[in-house]
Amino acid sequence: MSNLLLLLILLPVAAALVCYFVRSSAVRSLTVLATGAILAAASLGLLLQGAFDPIAVGSFLGISSDFLVTVLDFALLGVIFFYGLKHKNLLIQGFTLAQAALLAWFELVVVEHVDVPALVGDQLALIMVLIISIIGSLICIFAIPYMKEHEEHLHLNKSRQPRFFFFMLLFLGAMNGLVLANNVLWLYFFFEVTTLCSFMLIGHDATEIATKNSVRALWMNSLGGLAFVIGMMLMYAKTQTLDISAILAAGPQGALMVTGIGFICLAGFTKAAQVPFQSWLLGAMVAPTPVSALLHSSTMVKAGVYVVLRFAPAYVGTLLSDGVAICGAFTFVACAALAIGQSNGKKILAYSTVSNLGLIICCAGINTPLAITAAVMLIIFHAISKSLLFLCVGTIEQAIGSRDIEDMRGLYAKYPRTAMLTIIGILTMLLPPFGVLMGKWMAMEAGASNIYVIIMLAMGSALTVVYWARWGGSLMATRKEGAAPESQAMLTRLPLVTLCTGAVVLSLAAPWIYNSMLAPMFDAAPFTMSFGSLDAATGSFAVVPLFIVLGLGVLFAAKAASGFRKTRVMPPYVSGANISGDTDGTYIGPMNGDVPFAAGNMYLGELFAEGKLTPVFNALAVALIVLMLGGAL
Amino acid sequence: MDTLILVIIGIVVGPILGGLIAGLDRRVTAWFQSRQGPPIMQAFYDVAKLFGKEKMVVNQWQILCAWVYMIAAAVSVGLFFAQGDLLLIFFVQAVGAVFLVMGAMSAKSPYSQVGAQRELMQILAYEPVLILVFVGFYLVTGSFSVEAVWQLDQPLLAKMPLLYLALGYALTIKLRKSPFDFSTSHHGHQELVKGVLTEYSGPYLGLVEVAHWYETVLVLGLCSLFWSTNVLWMAVLLICTYMLEILVDNTMARMTWRWMLKRVWLLGMGMSVVNLIWLYAG
Repeated sequence: MSNLLLLLILLPVAAALVCYFVRSSAVRSLTVLATGAILAAASLGLLLQGAFDPIAVGSFLGISSDFLVTVLDFALLGVIFFYGLKHKNLLIQGFTLAQAALLAWFELVVVEHVDVPALVGDQLALIMVLIISIIGSLICIFAIPYMKEHEEHLHLNKSRQPRFFFFMLLFLGAMNGLVLANNVLWLYFFFEVTTLCSFMLIGHDATEIATKNSVRALWMNSLGGLAFVIGMMLMYAKTQTLDISAILAAGPQGALMVTGIGFICLAGFTKAAQVPFQSWLLGAMVAPTPVSALLHSSTMVKAGVYVVLRFAPAYVGTLLSDGVAICGAFTFVACAALAIGQSNGKKILAYSTVSNLGLIICCAGINTPLAITAAVMLIIFHAISKSLLFLCVGTIEQAIGSRDIEDMRGLYAKYPRTAMLTIIGILTMLLPPFGVLMGKWMAMEAGASNIYVIIMLAMGSALTVVYWARWGGSLMATRKEGAAPESQAMLTRLPLVTLCTGAVVLSLAAPWIYNSMLAPMFDAAPFTMSFGSLDAATGSFAVVPLFIVLGLGVLFAAKAASGFRKTRVMPPYVSGANISGDTDGTYIGPMNGDVPFAAGNMYLGELFAEGKLTPVFNALAVALIVLMLGGAL
Repeated sequence: MDTLILVIIGIVVGPILGGLIAGLDRRVTAWFQSRQGPPIMQAFYDVAKLFGKEKMVVNQWQILCAWVYMIAAAVSVGLFFAQGDLLLIFFVQAVGAVFLVMGAMSAKSPYSQVGAQRELMQILAYEPVLILVFVGFYLVTGSFSVEAVWQLDQPLLAKMPLLYLALGYALTIKLRKSPFDFSTSHHGHQELVKGVLTEYSGPYLGLVEVAHWYETVLVLGLCSLFWSTNVLWMAVLLICTYMLEILVDNTMARMTWRWMLKRVWLLGMGMSVVNLIWLYAG
């Protein structure tokens, strides 16, 4: 058991060191592939052994592991402070110094050092380990061919890939540590490691904009770190323990402790890039695509929502809980609105990520078994679909040299494989019977008991449809007969196809995932399962029947569509004479000139302009966060 | 077993009912305009003729999208008759709506592109209102399932009058009637041509038509739930509602999507929220 845990946390670290010091691309590729395979297997192995009670880690070479973590903590703060100095950023310096001072006081004066079991694996942790180890590994594998091509574009003298893969793999180890931690100090340590990794990866290309955005990410996450330390201290002042399991079991314990949790939730908000902290995640898209995919799907932001969700039992039934729900719902609707005004594919994905994270946090705040189920389902399926979409956009970007969805019009004509995967990815984010929508459905059923929340969810849900549907639709086009098939590197196709299959098949398996992994989390499980349908008193989602009916329907429709060359393919109607023999929508215009087809989406600039809305949303979000923290008192 | 029979009835009777309503709609409209109008069965004749036409497409996605639109609409009606979950029924219906839009966007035709964008605006307008109406159902019955409505001993209309009005908005948009007919129009000779439907032709337009019948039945089915205690009053409510729809359709000009978004999000959502506040307080 504990060997498996060490493997999940330390193997990525060891592999990261190999990638960093052995500057051979073959060794690097092999290390990444092997680490990915072992991590995936280990996470499955951990799942098979089932949930376990908190366990102690003991010591390394005679040094207690708690002490080691403390030392590393300060070392880490030192490194972050160094980067604060290097980039002359007062915010980073200030937040880091404050953290170090508070932490030193806490460690040296306040805390009674008793042995706290360091790791725990409940259902939530096991699910998170699966997501991190499998999806994270797939993204790292995708990065092997991607980074090769990326660096060819940049014409570097000396490859920066060792550094890149060092932080990518380190990230996975830190995430596994974070979700398995049972000691608050360990949780804090891994939380800070992810901050540093994300900073390094966002700034990887070392361009001016990359540096600027990475510094912004660092100061915002340092603020989160500071909030975490404050929260930890307040919480300790009341509970007198660092054992997360014990804190959760005891439930809410008065204003002081709940305020502490409120600050920890704030730390989660910064990490999950909730409004008003969304700008660091949007800036993160300057990094190579695998970084975005990693940050957006299985790591970093998921660490944020994980922290909020992890502590949910400790603030259940308090006003803080309502505050968290309202903040989350607000982010959901605000970022969905901001996404409508965007034509940059990566930015749409980024806003959609923040929006979905808001929904997850909202579910944590609603804090009923149904809502927690919704949150976990959303975490799982969002991670799969969103990583798929990011990797698709990365592939498209390398193919067409643009990430603008207007430039992706008719992508199917030239890149049918990638376009098809993207369309499926979009549909799995948007429509039933897929997992993300099922999560949203659960969230709505759970949120219906809170009028503020449900109004925002209803609006956000409608906004979401608009930006996904138009993107999906504009990718569709016809291939010329006998056009050459699209070529894709094996290591590119493997992660894409795996993720796409996963998004569909796991959605179908959702009732069983629920039954085996989520239901044991609750005393009174929110659903019963019959005939592959999830039933509750409030309503039911017939997953398998819908899959069968709609699946057969889509197969039939696809069959009907595949014979389209036998029907007459006509040029579109353009209120004028089409150019003869051309089905491209070009028509004979004034002066007998050819007028080609052109179209653009409606981005509703007057209503959803990013520049106008962002300051308003930020101000509102700050007010809501103040309201939330005050609610804890 | 009973559920299965109900579902089959729903899927078979749905389009027949929808087609008849479409025919009646045209007759009543003609009556308003002092014309004689086509026979009531005209809608069926039209679709039968469409199915007999040669298959012509702009690209393969249209075939896929038309079929999925039809299938999703039929499944949502089936789910409604199976007394399923209202939110789920709505989301399944949304599958069809999204595919209709995507099919229109796949064509390189300016009219169908404009229509598709506007159809999305329509979805944006009616979706939140419909979700809030379902929340109203939940607050009254304690469940999102249609089944729970039949256990009430008092018509829902008494508790959700403003939500019914808001549903009326959503209904008009969903049925693409004036003043909200800007994603497609009944008359092809306008600046929009046929909007989102421009490039669907022959049998595929037939499928879209049948899907629309299903949607009509679904929306009217939702309205019927507001007077679930008495079949007679339910019929009266439905007839009055649909007559009002036709009247509005005939007396209003087409407005713009901006007007619609503002109107529906402010007025429709406003009425829904006020009604929900009553329910939360009650």
